[in-house]
Amino acid sequence: MQVFLQTVIGGASLGAIYALVALGFSLVYRTMGLVNFSHGNVVMIGAYIASTFYLSAKLPFALAMLIALAVTGAIGIIIERVLRPLENKDFDLMLIGTIGFGIVLEALAIRIWGATGRAVPSPVPAPPLDLFGLRIRTYDLLVLGIAAAASLLLIVFLQRTKRGAAMQAVAMDHEAATAVGIHVGRSNAIAFMFGAALAALAGGLVGPLLYVSPSMGGTLGIKGFAAAILGGFGSVPGAIVGGLAIGVLDSFATGHFQGYSELVTFLVFTVLIMIRPLGIFGERTVNRA
Amino acid sequence: MRYRIGGLAALAMAAWYLPYQLDSYLIHVANVIILFALLAIGLGLTMGVAGQINLAQVAFFGVAAYATAILTTRAGLGFWTAGLVSLLIAMAIGLLVGTPALRMQSHYLGIVTLGLALAFTNWVTNSQIAGGAEGITAIPAPAFPGVDLSNEYFFYYLELIVFALTMAFALFVVRTPLGRRMRAMRDDSLAAGAVGVEVPMLRMTAFLLGSIYGGIAGVLYAGLIRYVAPETFSIANMFLLLAMVIIGGRQSLVGCVVGAIVLMLLREALIDYPTYAQVAYGSVVVLIVVFAPAGLAGIPRQAVRLARRLGLGPAGAARTPRLGPFQPYPSAGAAEAVDAEKPMLELDGITMNFRGLIALRDVSMTVDPGEIRGIVGPNGSGKTTLFNVVSGLYRPSAGRVTLSGVTVTAARPYRLAQAGVARTFQNLRLFPALTVRENVLVALDRTRVWSSWRYAVWQLGVWRHERTLRDEADEVLARFGLSDFADVTPGALPYGTQRRVEIARAMARRPRLLLLDEPAAGLNGEEVRQLSEIVRSIRASGVTVVVIEHNMALVMSLCDRVTVFASGQIIADGAPTEVARAPQVIEAYLGDSAMSEDVPQTATAEGTR
Repeated sequence: MQVFLQTVIGGASLGAIYALVALGFSLVYRTMGLVNFSHGNVVMIGAYIASTFYLSAKLPFALAMLIALAVTGAIGIIIERVLRPLENKDFDLMLIGTIGFGIVLEALAIRIWGATGRAVPSPVPAPPLDLFGLRIRTYDLLVLGIAAAASLLLIVFLQRTKRGAAMQAVAMDHEAATAVGIHVGRSNAIAFMFGAALAALAGGLVGPLLYVSPSMGGTLGIKGFAAAILGGFGSVPGAIVGGLAIGVLDSFATGHFQGYSELVTFLVFTVLIMIRPLGIFGERTVNRA
Repeated sequence: MRYRIGGLAALAMAAWYLPYQLDSYLIHVANVIILFALLAIGLGLTMGVAGQINLAQVAFFGVAAYATAILTTRAGLGFWTAGLVSLLIAMAIGLLVGTPALRMQSHYLGIVTLGLALAFTNWVTNSQIAGGAEGITAIPAPAFPGVDLSNEYFFYYLELIVFALTMAFALFVVRTPLGRRMRAMRDDSLAAGAVGVEVPMLRMTAFLLGSIYGGIAGVLYAGLIRYVAPETFSIANMFLLLAMVIIGGRQSLVGCVVGAIVLMLLREALIDYPTYAQVAYGSVVVLIVVFAPAGLAGIPRQAVRLARRLGLGPAGAARTPRLGPFQPYPSAGAAEAVDAEKPMLELDGITMNFRGLIALRDVSMTVDPGEIRGIVGPNGSGKTTLFNVVSGLYRPSAGRVTLSGVTVTAARPYRLAQAGVARTFQNLRLFPALTVRENVLVALDRTRVWSSWRYAVWQLGVWRHERTLRDEADEVLARFGLSDFADVTPGALPYGTQRRVEIARAMARRPRLLLLDEPAAGLNGEEVRQLSEIVRSIRASGVTVVVIEHNMALVMSLCDRVTVFASGQIIADGAPTEVARAPQVIEAYLGDSAMSEDVPQTATAEGTR
């Protein structure tokens, strides 16, 4: 039981990261029906920028994060602007276009920061808490807290603000949204910007948990995407639940299968998604003939 | 044609004499390029031709390479035996990776295949038997009597021959029934199912084809490099492969090969600056996707189109293509008329429930053989839902569908198509990237997907089958007056002509029951008259027709019986004149009398037109 709970707790903080990555995927997907395969690489760029300003420029961690958010937000806007001609036309082509962006971002990261990674010390020096014999790292709590706050803010934005409502409208029917005077392009750009900012948040937070390297984007992106699909693609609560599920699954796979954890994680994911292709909170859309 | 053969001969000569110009390093590069070209063909078949996003092609490659390595070094098998077994293993893995395609498509499939590819690299980096991160060295060179294949120059010729054969095979597949069906499925899997294409089987076939090419490349890789390690089969190389296919043009196999050659040469030229090479090919992928979606292979056509727009190049064809008259079917004799004992179509208590929204409520009706049945009703009354249930797109929540006495409730669309149900769609679902002739050809082909085994052993049979199909297609096109449009894609045709193409496609299946969903929508008066002539002739040939239509004049003159729907229920059924007088019909169409002053005058005109 002790080991079980410890494994769950160990998975939760990475799970929160996956949830943030999944939220970014979902936000972009629900607004413009696009899967951004470069999302993982944006996470990586965010991690590098945050760690650079934190380590080299000796800025406070929070400030470094804000800079990372701003820079990746700009990257998101650029990606959206370049791919805009394809919006609502060819889904597969856009998907491949974002893979192209991912390739470029990774190469740029290697150019700027080198191919080897770096370790980032935890910004919270406090010792781990001891709760009924379970060790909980204070930084993990910080990660969980920030992830929860970000999800809440996102939900409030989507449901309570005019801009958020406009984005929901675009998601449901972009033509009808245009007809009532919503600027679809701008709405999509904002979705992309927020998606990228969420990626940077995940990247900045994951720095002290993992090793920051140019190739981290691939794994984080794929697992975040898997989380989004598992929860139900496009659904905000789905992204959170899916992220935590993948994190815990990962933690168990590492505990029991060591090196083969990825193999196990992806096999389990494939089986789950075969059983329920729409995920936990997914909605079935009816084929219209 | 002569130019093409000449060009091909020149290309073959160049490839044959190429090694004389290359030093020992460059011949190695050439050998690796051919392997990537093989991989690109496989990915082009799965992704470009069949439309199945496959990000595990590099894993098929790896599975075969590793299997060859393990079988030769650990199990002591000879290279060729090991190679053959490895190819079979790769094919099995291909089928396994393809199974998710039965349940999901597009980005879902992308992430699942990518995850499985990652699982593969994860396995080889950790597994003892695969040599871990160091990989496996000292794979024996393939033995071949009289030729030393450890010499890269000789290996080049082995690869060249394999490449020529497999490329020819891939082109053959694309141009014959199997490839055409895959392209149809890529363009519109729903419509493909409705014309009898076994979509699930075909998706698996697409992955199988991809894994065959990946497997062949993997075996050759093991024989060429004689060393395997995990990083060769990494996700980075998967994306490189994807870039090759996109840049070259995924729907053209020649384009895929050109893309592979171009990118590999680029990588070679920038070998000292790998990150710049990566930036370059990433940016090219983005640019291609935005500006030339058909890739390098599509650029000539784009250039021609541009030239034409600027007024350059040859003027249009001398004779404008014209829609010919419909030539009626020979009417079936009494003997050929279907067994009149059993109703052609019988619906018994069909209910269709979409999460609480009841689109059809306990609908029962029978359609007799040789009848033309009209189905009318206000928008949203469940007419198209009914068609979707009958043609297998929806599985009804309750009730039974029988076809000439055989229960077919919730059968897959392709099964129903094989059982003799054909349909058209309200919003037209032609295969946009196929020509009109190919649209008809897909429907004409009544063979099953499993009969594709003939591609492996009896290509001549496939070719003969293809020739018969083409003759039949010309017949169908001539009958519907579409011969002039045989070689254009449907998107370029006027709307009315597209509607006729769809009917021709449905009739190419030689159905027993034809479902027409608003065939007159958007047609002008003359076209409606032609339509009614076509439908009558179709009935006279022994086919039962059910038609959903809003054009009341057409319904009244054409149909033997009319069934009226409102809010998912049948409110009237009978001869057209009776039904038009029934008070409940008038109410459903025009609202009840209390509401009537709110109904604008035009609605009345619409109803009785």
